[in-house]
Amino acid sequence: MLMPRKVKHRKQNRGRMSGMAKGGTEVSFGDFGIQALEPAWLTARQIEAARIAMTRHVKRGGKVWIRVFPDKPVTEKPAETRMGSGKGNPEHWVAVVKPGRVIFELAGVDEPLARAAMERAIQKLPMRARFVIRPGTHGTSEIQL
Amino acid sequence: MSEITLLAEVGRTTGSRSTRRLRREGKIPAVVYGHGTDPLSIAVDGPALRVALTGESGTNQLLEIDTGSNKFLVLARSFQRHPVRGTVQHIDFQITSRDELVTVEVPIIIIGDAVEVRHGDGTVDQQLFNVSIKARPGSIPTSLEIDISAMAIGDVLRVGDLTLPDGVVADSDPESAIAIAVGARTQVLEQESEEGAVSEPVVDGEAPQAAADGAGESSDS
Repeated sequence: MLMPRKVKHRKQNRGRMSGMAKGGTEVSFGDFGIQALEPAWLTARQIEAARIAMTRHVKRGGKVWIRVFPDKPVTEKPAETRMGSGKGNPEHWVAVVKPGRVIFELAGVDEPLARAAMERAIQKLPMRARFVIRPGTHGTSEIQL
Repeated sequence: MSEITLLAEVGRTTGSRSTRRLRREGKIPAVVYGHGTDPLSIAVDGPALRVALTGESGTNQLLEIDTGSNKFLVLARSFQRHPVRGTVQHIDFQITSRDELVTVEVPIIIIGDAVEVRHGDGTVDQQLFNVSIKARPGSIPTSLEIDISAMAIGDVLRVGDLTLPDGVVADSDPESAIAIAVGARTQVLEQESEEGAVSEPVVDGEAPQAAADGAGESSDS
């Protein structure tokens, strides 16, 4: 699973997820992508599950890009612990995803196969997401109104 | 390449509220600049712009912006898109002339079937989708084609391998890879993910062992 090799601080504040993604909103490397439509914390496990669902469906060929990285630690207090005594222990890692962010990209396969593979990957994600095609390719217009 | 004339409104009020109203009316805010002129805020009709820029030349289509009092020969330079909807929110038009060299991005189209790569369970991985070229506005190619049928696994096609039309010069590094023929990629990734368990990350300024030990404790007591 994805996680940072080295961190400066073990625990972070939770933060807010208002607004839309500021960058990483276009399909940049492959031909097809999965774009988030809602804000969410995407765990390393969910990213891995989605990637496996996609690559297993594609079977052979194709190249996958993961455009997000889970670099935010999430802490949890142990079960049946009294409140207090400070913040809990880092348990897992998440990527903060805002609407518009392209999460995965895929290349080297035809559109129906890419769509089917990515629909399977979307089922593993905690938010609404959609299949997108690089503008100007596969019959899509570069100018959307 | 002949230009397409677009009618434009000048004197639009800038600012987010009035621009949003403009978009609601089906217009796209834009700016015209270049050749030492002051930047001019304009608005163009959305459907007319889409027709103009989805032709054979794509977004490299030479346009003539008619503001009523002035006419500008321009190229569309930058598109701002909505992060979720993908709709065009704003366009930059750069004034150009027919006899000056301009730098534009032209799409690369892969043609042919890499039979040897396909038989070896590999794929041709396209690294570069657009290449930067220098040409006169009238002679910008709509796309550049590169044939991959002679590729074998491990082969690389580079910018230097492109056959460019007369009057067109590549503005990218000739060593940049356009397409690489690679072996079965998904299987390799699958194996990587099934490798052993991952270790705890090292906290900066602490020894790796100390970080691993401290991970199970609550430090802020």
